[in-house]
Amino acid sequence: MEGDEADEQQQFSYRQRLKAAVHYTVGCLCEEVASDKEMQFSKQTIAAISEVTFRQCELFAKDLEMFARHAKRSTINTEDVKLLARRSNSLLKFITEKNEEITQFNLEQKAKKKKKLEDGNKNSREAAEAGTEESET
Amino acid sequence: MGLCDRLARISLNATGGNATTAAAQAALGRMAEAMAHRNTPDGEPTTRTLLRRVLDTADPRTPQRPGSARACSPSVHSSQRRRSLGSAQRALLETTSYKRLSNQTKATARRRSYRARAIGQWSHVQASGHLEEQTPRTLLKNILLTAPESSIVMPESAVQPVQEPQVVQPSRRESSRGSLELQFPEFEPPVTLAPGLLAPGRRKQRLRLSVFQQGVDQDLPLSQEPHGNTDASSFTSSLNLTFATPLQPQSVQRPGLARRPPTRRPVDVGAFLQDLRDTSQASVPLGDSHRTPVATLPTDTVLEDTQPFSHPLVSHRTWSNVPELQNNSSGKPAQSLAGRAEEVNVLDVGFPNTSSGISGEGGLESLEVGISEKAEERMEEGLSVSEVKEATGVQGSAREEEHEGHTEITEAEGSQGAIEAMEPEGSSRDEDTSSGTASPELASSTPEFLRARQLHLELSPPTSAADLGSEPLEPLSVRLPPRSRTARPRPRQDPYKAGLSHYAKLFSFYAKMPMEKKALEMVEKCLDKYFQHLCDDLEVFAAHAGRKTVRPEDLELLMRRQGLVTDQVSLYVLVERHLPLEYRQLLIPCAFSGNSVFPAQ
Repeated sequence: MEGDEADEQQQFSYRQRLKAAVHYTVGCLCEEVASDKEMQFSKQTIAAISEVTFRQCELFAKDLEMFARHAKRSTINTEDVKLLARRSNSLLKFITEKNEEITQFNLEQKAKKKKKLEDGNKNSREAAEAGTEESET
Repeated sequence: MGLCDRLARISLNATGGNATTAAAQAALGRMAEAMAHRNTPDGEPTTRTLLRRVLDTADPRTPQRPGSARACSPSVHSSQRRRSLGSAQRALLETTSYKRLSNQTKATARRRSYRARAIGQWSHVQASGHLEEQTPRTLLKNILLTAPESSIVMPESAVQPVQEPQVVQPSRRESSRGSLELQFPEFEPPVTLAPGLLAPGRRKQRLRLSVFQQGVDQDLPLSQEPHGNTDASSFTSSLNLTFATPLQPQSVQRPGLARRPPTRRPVDVGAFLQDLRDTSQASVPLGDSHRTPVATLPTDTVLEDTQPFSHPLVSHRTWSNVPELQNNSSGKPAQSLAGRAEEVNVLDVGFPNTSSGISGEGGLESLEVGISEKAEERMEEGLSVSEVKEATGVQGSAREEEHEGHTEITEAEGSQGAIEAMEPEGSSRDEDTSSGTASPELASSTPEFLRARQLHLELSPPTSAADLGSEPLEPLSVRLPPRSRTARPRPRQDPYKAGLSHYAKLFSFYAKMPMEKKALEMVEKCLDKYFQHLCDDLEVFAAHAGRKTVRPEDLELLMRRQGLVTDQVSLYVLVERHLPLEYRQLLIPCAFSGNSVFPAQ
């Protein structure tokens, strides 16, 4: 029982820390927007936004997990994220573009790795062949 | 006190009849004890006490020696029992009526609970050996089962109910009353009760009304009836002891399943098709021949009568549904009715398809061709086949559309589910026409079954076919031959939202206030968007799982996101709560396990 309470408290403080982090980030973003649009944000607004963001993040997490499970996977995928973001078109576009970027980047990375591997293989093969030849001969 | 005397008498009788067992005696002892405890502090005989008295004075025969007990009882104890029972009953009645006047529902509830308890205890005393006779237990049990919940009748109106039982009584005289001395003041209740008890077929003894009358007359002066006969009659009337046979629905294995009576009237297919023909001839049919629908026809027709959703959907949007449903149907004609949405969809598709088939427009011909194709491929019910044939027979000979329809049908054939059908068609359509027009249509097609799924519709008779008007699915008509297009513009708006008008009406009903027309239109728009959204979601969910068919898992995911299905409330719980039995058995795998189904499916 006491352990549970301690856990609860820990969890609660953890949540508070997370909320504080979100709040800080929201505040920074709002400052940017404020300087951009030359409009001021009240403290309550920022607090409200951060609270909403935090709750929405929780929902997102649950939804992502549901989507992944729906697709019979145990890992959350970019597909799940895209499914989550399908509601707002701009967000979906943004995420899709980012996704494409990332995949391209990954492909490039893979290509590079492959090249390296191939080179390495070639070298090793040559070395092996050379070695075998030497051994044979 | 009379109770004690009666108890003593009972035990004496029991011992005399040699029929008491330890259980019976224990039961008696318990009853006495209970009676002592339950007596109201003010000493006024409560329902319980009266009932106890009645039960006590009844012949406590045990199953062990039914023969001897029965042999002894009638001759020896009958009159005595009757008398005692009569007095006990009278007292019971009086008290109950009195109680009722003062505290009606409580008395009824108490009486019921008391009776239940009494009956339970009686079972010890009067064992199955008395099956052939009307035992107080069975009588009381029937009372409990058949007496209406709130049957408190004031003394003034006691006369009428009394008369009724009398009328009933002669018709049901055969109940064996030999040992039964439930002498309600007017005798009618016991009389009518007996028939109910004997309904299962145990009319062995004749009702000896004269004996009853004698007993009652003799007991009348003895009873401590504060109010006169009127109270008794009021009691009986309030008891409302119709004593009809407790309703035993044969098909329902569990009483809990007997929910609200089906308020739907089965759709007369012939009349419906006739209506469709009329409306189709009246208005220009939509040319969405493309969609092939309906292999689902067979299922549609089968579900016709049972599906509550079919009616509003069909009636309201038969035309509009045609294209959409065709999409859906083409997608999933073969889909088993595992999914509720599918069922509804099928149903929707079925009707519109038939209706469209009936229409004279050529555009529909391809549809029906598609339907026949699909139907042949995935014939599920013979009835639907006949419908399809009928549709084909009625159809005109617009060959051009047929080609189009065929091509589309072939396209659609590849698809497996409604979503699947929608997607390829939608994509192909998009290529041909503006995507904007196509998407709402797609969305509107799926909303049909979703609507039925989401909104637990009460069955309302299908609105007149006139509502349907011509099909609004303009986007579909794009592919149709030009001549159908020309006739389309006018009905464009109406049919598109014809199906939603039903929901708007429901909305206005629940609003309990008169609504402006604009408000209703707004509601329709919102509903439309909502359903489109819903269907898009379903489509995406299915695609997300790598499938082309919408399955119940997708719907469950959707409901989870909506918050209807939670960790506490599972989908099956909702299904049990809201859907009729036929769908329960389809959706819940084990709902029917262990039961026998008639007719065998």
